This record gives sequence, C-alpha cells and structure tokens, in this order.
Amino acid sequence: MEFNQLMNNNKLLIINGPGLSDLSNFNDYGYEDLTLKKLQKKCLETCKSLGIDLDFFQTDDQSELYEKLSDGLEGFDALIINPVGYSHASKLDLDVYNSNIKTSAIKNKPVIEVHIANIFQDGESVSEPVIVAKSDVGFICGLGVNSYELAIRSIHEKLNQN
Amino acid sequence: MNIYVINGPNINLLGTREPEIYGSETLEDIEKKCLEQGVKDGHIIKFMQSNYEGEIVEWIQNAIKEKVDAIVINAAAYTHTSIAIHDALKSFSGFKIELHISNPHLRETFRHVSYISPAVDAVIAGLGPNGYSHVIELLNNLNSQRIGKLA
Repeated sequence: MEFNQLMNNNKLLIINGPGLSDLSNFNDYGYEDLTLKKLQKKCLETCKSLGIDLDFFQTDDQSELYEKLSDGLEGFDALIINPVGYSHASKLDLDVYNSNIKTSAIKNKPVIEVHIANIFQDGESVSEPVIVAKSDVGFICGLGVNSYELAIRSIHEKLNQN
Repeated sequence: MNIYVINGPNINLLGTREPEIYGSETLEDIEKKCLEQGVKDGHIIKFMQSNYEGEIVEWIQNAIKEKVDAIVINAAAYTHTSIAIHDALKSFSGFKIELHISNPHLRETFRHVSYISPAVDAVIAGLGPNGYSHVIELLNNLNSQRIGKLA
C-alpha cells in the first residue's frame, strides 16, 4: 500500500528565477526575514502533506533557467514558476520563456506563474500591462509565501481531477 | 472573519456562457463551495453578484462601513474599465484580492489592462472556479501574516 502511494506521487517542479536567491528586498512589502530557505521549507511541508514529490530549484543564471525549463520538465507533472525579473526589466528572453511554458502546457501539464509581491503595484502604469506567459497558465501574485501555497494546492487538485 | 465575495457583470451566466473558457460550473455551485469553506473556517461570507457598476461600488463602500476583513472581487469586464471600482477599493483598508476564473492576460488585448490590480493586495487568475474556495481557505494564513504593503 505504502509502496503504491509512493509510486503514484505526483512530481512538481518549482523554478525560482534570477534574483530570488536573496529575498531581503521583499522587506518593503512586509515580508520581513523571508529567505529562500524558509520558502523552500514551507513548500516542502505542503507538498509532503499532499503526497507530492517536489524539486525546488533556483538559479540566478538565465541560461540555466532556460535549460531547466526545456530539459527539466520531462520528468514532472506540473510546474510552478516565479520568473521575477522579466516582468520588470525584461531581462529574460520572453520568446524562449513563453515557448517553453507553452510546450509544457500543451502536454497538459498544469503551469502556474507566481510572484511574492503584487507586481502591478508601485508605479506600474495601468495602461501598460505586464506581459505574462502566453499559454494556458494560472497566475498568482501578492500573497507572499502563500502565493506558492495556493499554487501547490491548485495543482494538486488539478492533477487529481485528470 | 467577515468576507465579501463580489462578482461583476455576466458572472451570473456562468455555466452557460462560453463554458470552454469559464467551465460548466454555475455561480450557485461556486457560492455553495465558498459558503461551505467559510463554515469550516468560521468565516461569515457574503456572496454577491451584480451587473451594475454602481451597485458594486456601493457594496465596497458598505464593506468599509461594516469593517469587513477581506474582499474577494471578480469585477469581470469592469476590471478593464472601472476607475470607480478602483477608487472604492483604494478606500477599503482590509485585505483585498482580485480574482479571475480564466487568465485575462492570455486573452484579447483589451483584457490585458486591469484597473483593479494596482488597488488590491493580490491577484489570482486562471485557477478555474475552484480558485474562489481555495482563496477563502487561505485567508486564515493571510490574516495572521497581513501580507502586502497596506500592512
């Protein structure tokens, strides 16, 4: 029984993009003392309680990010991605990012884009929309650590519906 | 907690209107799930829908008066047009979440601008009809953490 449960565990990949190794700049948003390690711990706890195997990944290196996106998705059932920088400074190559997200969405794998803070606040002009991935993905921002929590729960539900 | 769940125009057609985008669940189904989740967590939930912008503004003003703890708002098409709802939300100091069943950023360009997003703490889109009850489930955590720059 336990062996079967182990075999049936869904595999989730969480990718954190460039800059998220240091979360101290979220102090302004009221997330004092938030570290990547704390975030990872919380995600692992939630996944464990739901019977999900989690690979929690972070890189400050763009090419490594693309590599993970294109190669790494093969063994996973779902993806949660915090792409950070692209929404502000367009540091990421959007075409590469979007096509990779699209590939996983086409394979019917749930994808949710998350952000810790509300990326639409603070001087973002309402007439200039932030570009998000152009495929079938969910979107969550502004719930802090709970952005991840909500994403994991939604994905868990989605995977168990199929 | 006292929570308002506010729904905007055409959401009363849910289940029949473009089910390939919005799903086959009706608004009554969603309301039922929200209320059940609320009972579980000890929240008082007021679930509302209106096709009238002014009525939605009045509900938000009412939430301010009644010192409601949180608003979950799916302003639907008014998301992309209503400065009045933006202003009303700005005056509400409780926790506020913008919610969409589908992800507007993946659809027509006229849905890419949200006047609601800069006025709320958090934005949730594309999680389907169950996004509502999931958010309500999370409000317990949020209350203790009081995330967002309005904290």
